[in-house]
Amino acid sequence: MITVTINGTEAQVEPGTTILDAARALGEWVPTLCFDERQDPFGACRVCMVAVDGMPRPVPACTTPLRDGMVVDTQDPVARRVAGAVVELVLSELPEAPEPHTELAAVAARLGVESTRWPGPTHPVDDDTRHPYLALRHELCISCGRCVRACDEVQGTFALTATGRGFDANIAAGLDQGFRESACVSCGACADTCPTGAITEISLLSLAEVSYA
Amino acid sequence: MSKNLVELIRRHHAQDAPTALEVLKAAVEDHGAITDDDRRVAAERSGLPEATVYGVSTFYDDLLHPRGQRHVRVCTGTACFAATGDAHVDALREGFGLELGEKAPDGAVSLAETVCLGFCHSAPAIRDGEVIDAGPDAVQRVLAGRAQAAAEPEPVSLLAEPVLLREGDWSGLRAALADTPEALLEAVKAADVRGRGGAGFPAGTKWQFTRANALKAGQAFIVANGDEGDPGSYIDKWLMESNPVLLLEGMALAGYAVGAQHGFVLTRSEYPLSKPALEAAVAAARAEGLLGEDILGSGFSFDIDIVEGAGSYVVGEETALLACLQGLRGTVSARPPFPAERGVHGLPTVVNNVETLSNIPFIAREGAEAYRALSPDATPGTKLVCFNERFARPGIYEVPFGMSTRALCEEVAGGLVDGREIKALQIGGPLGGILPASKLDTPFDFQQLAAEGCMVGHGGIVAFDDETDMRAVARHLLHFGAAESCGKCFPCRIGMRRAHDMVAADAPVDRALLDDLLETLELGSLCAHGSGMPAPIRSIIAHWPHELGVTA
Repeated sequence: MITVTINGTEAQVEPGTTILDAARALGEWVPTLCFDERQDPFGACRVCMVAVDGMPRPVPACTTPLRDGMVVDTQDPVARRVAGAVVELVLSELPEAPEPHTELAAVAARLGVESTRWPGPTHPVDDDTRHPYLALRHELCISCGRCVRACDEVQGTFALTATGRGFDANIAAGLDQGFRESACVSCGACADTCPTGAITEISLLSLAEVSYA
Repeated sequence: MSKNLVELIRRHHAQDAPTALEVLKAAVEDHGAITDDDRRVAAERSGLPEATVYGVSTFYDDLLHPRGQRHVRVCTGTACFAATGDAHVDALREGFGLELGEKAPDGAVSLAETVCLGFCHSAPAIRDGEVIDAGPDAVQRVLAGRAQAAAEPEPVSLLAEPVLLREGDWSGLRAALADTPEALLEAVKAADVRGRGGAGFPAGTKWQFTRANALKAGQAFIVANGDEGDPGSYIDKWLMESNPVLLLEGMALAGYAVGAQHGFVLTRSEYPLSKPALEAAVAAARAEGLLGEDILGSGFSFDIDIVEGAGSYVVGEETALLACLQGLRGTVSARPPFPAERGVHGLPTVVNNVETLSNIPFIAREGAEAYRALSPDATPGTKLVCFNERFARPGIYEVPFGMSTRALCEEVAGGLVDGREIKALQIGGPLGGILPASKLDTPFDFQQLAAEGCMVGHGGIVAFDDETDMRAVARHLLHFGAAESCGKCFPCRIGMRRAHDMVAADAPVDRALLDDLLETLELGSLCAHGSGMPAPIRSIIAHWPHELGVTA
C-alpha cells in the first residue's frame, strides 16, 4: 500500500490506483465525460484535470496512477478552469443543448458552464433511425469513445468504431450502414454509456405511442 | 489502444496476415478509392472487425483523397508557404480547375494537399504521380505535364569527422558484439543521447525501462520513428534514403542493448523513396549476415521490417505511431502505459527517432566520452539541421550543439536570397515557438531555445522573410493544427478548429478569448500536437500583436 493525500485527506491505496479511483472512493467529485468504470481509462475528454504537488501543470485523474506521497488537489483553480473551458468547447460543437438528464448536462451544470465563449460550426444533423431499438444522432456525438469501448471491452462485439479525425471525428456502426447492417447484437451497452444521448434506446413504450397515435 | 484489437493483430501477424492499413493502401493504389468491398476484404485478411477497418479507412489522407488517373499532390508545408504564401496552391487549383481533394469529372486528374514532401530546400514542391518536382518553375512544369524529379540535397558536415554523415558500415555493431549488452546500454546512458525527434527524452532511459520489461516479457521490439512529419524538416528523409545502413545498425544496436529480436521502421508515404531504400539496405545486410539469425556468429539475432504510413502528422507521436504500425487509426493513447511497457503487439518497445538511432553506431564504436566531446559544454553529440528555400545555401548540415542561431543562418546557410532579411525563424517544426530576428544570437541548443519559447525539435530551420504577414503564418499553422488533429482529445479536436477560425476571420482577434483557448490547448491536450501549437501562436502575439490584430 502507498500513502497519498487527496484534498487534505490522507489515504492508503494499492499501488497502481489512479487518482480518479482514489478520489471517488473518498467521496470527492471529479468531473468526467469519457470515463466509465466498466472500461479502461481513455484520457480523451480532459475534464478530470487535477493538480498534483510538484507537477508543473494539471494532470488527468483518470490515467494518472498515484505514487507514494502524492498530494492531489481535485479542486485546483487552474485545473477547474481548463475543465470548464473544455466543456464550453464541447457545448460549442453541438447543434442543440444536451438534454437535462444526460451526463454532459450534469457535468456542465456542476461546473457552472451554461454557454460557450467559442461558438462556431456545429456537427451536421445526421440521424440514423434504421434500427428498431437503437437511435444514433451523429450530431450529438462528442467522440468520447465510450460506446466504441463498451462494444469492444464489455460486449466483445466490435460493431462500433471511431471515424474521421479532428473536428469531424464521430462514430459509425459496421461499415457506416447503421446498427442493423453491422455486427450489433442490440445489447444496448452503447446507449447505456453514452453521456450525451447520441445513442439512445427506442423504448417499446414510445413505439407503442407511435403506433396508436 | 484497444487491448483486444492489439491481441487480434498479434495473432494474425503470427500467421503472416497483412495489416488492415496495408490492404487498404493497396486498394487505393490499385483503383483510386476505397469501396465497402475493399473494407470487407481488408477485414477478412487482417482479421480485424469490419467497423474497425471502416474507422481506419476514414483516418488517413492517402485513403481519403480521391485519385484520378493522374494524382497531383501539392505541398502545403511551412517552407512552401514561406516561399510563395500559398500562391503555388492557387496556381494549381486554377490551372487544373480543381479544388484540393477533388477529382475531375472524367477521372483524368485529381488534386490533393500534402504536408510535407521534404523538398523544403527548393520549395514549392509538387508530387505528380510518383515524380516530385520542386522549385519556382515546378507549377508551370506540372501544369504542362512535364514534371521532373527535383534534385536531392548534398549534406555538409562542419565536423572534422562526421558522425551522422559518415556512411554506415556496421563497425559499431561489430565492436558492441564483442562486449556485453549491458556495456552498450551503459555507454548510451553515459553519452546522454537526447531524442532528436522533438521531445528530447534521454534515449538511454527509454532503453533501460524497455530492457527491464523485456527481461520479464521475454520479447521486445525496436521501432524507428521515420514519420518526420514536421513541415520544414527533411533530415530523417535523407538519413533513411541516403544513409540507411547507419539507421539499421543503430536499430540492431538498440536490439542488442535491450534484448529485442525484431525492429520496424515506420516511414512516411510523403517520402516514397524511403521504404524501397531501407528495404534494399535490409536485404543487403541479411545477405551479409548482418541482420537475421546469429549475426556474425555472436548468437544475437535481429531482423527489421519496413512499414509505410498513409498520411497523418500525429502518427509521429509514439503511441499513434504504434497504432499506425499495427494498421489501426493513428490516434494518440494516454500514457502510462508507455511503449517501454506495452508497445507493438502489447510487448515492450523502444520507439526512437531515426536520427537518434543513427547516433548509436558512433557511440558503440568510439565510446561515450568521444561522443560527449563532439559538442563541448553543450548537448552531447551532433545535430543535423536543414534550411528552407529562403536561405542562400539551403540544405542539410551536421553541426555541433551550441552554435549561435545567427552563425547557422548567416555563416552556414548564407543568409537569405534576393537581399531579403530574416523576419522570424520557426525552428524544429510547427510546434516550436517563433524566434524573431532580434533573438538570432540565441545558442542553438535545447535549454537556450526553450528559454525563448522555442525548441531544437527536429532541427528544421524555416525562415520567414521581411515580406511575411505574421497573421498569415498563424493562420497557416492553425490550419495545419486543425487538419492534423487526430480527434482523440477534446481540447485539440475542438479547440484547434476554434483557434483557427478566430485567426482566419476577417476581424480583430479578441486577445483574452484567444489566450484562454491557448491555455486550454496547452494544459488540456493529450499530446504535443495540441499542447505545443500554442507556442508559435503566443510568439506571434508577443512579437507581432499589431499584425495579428489582437485587441488589448
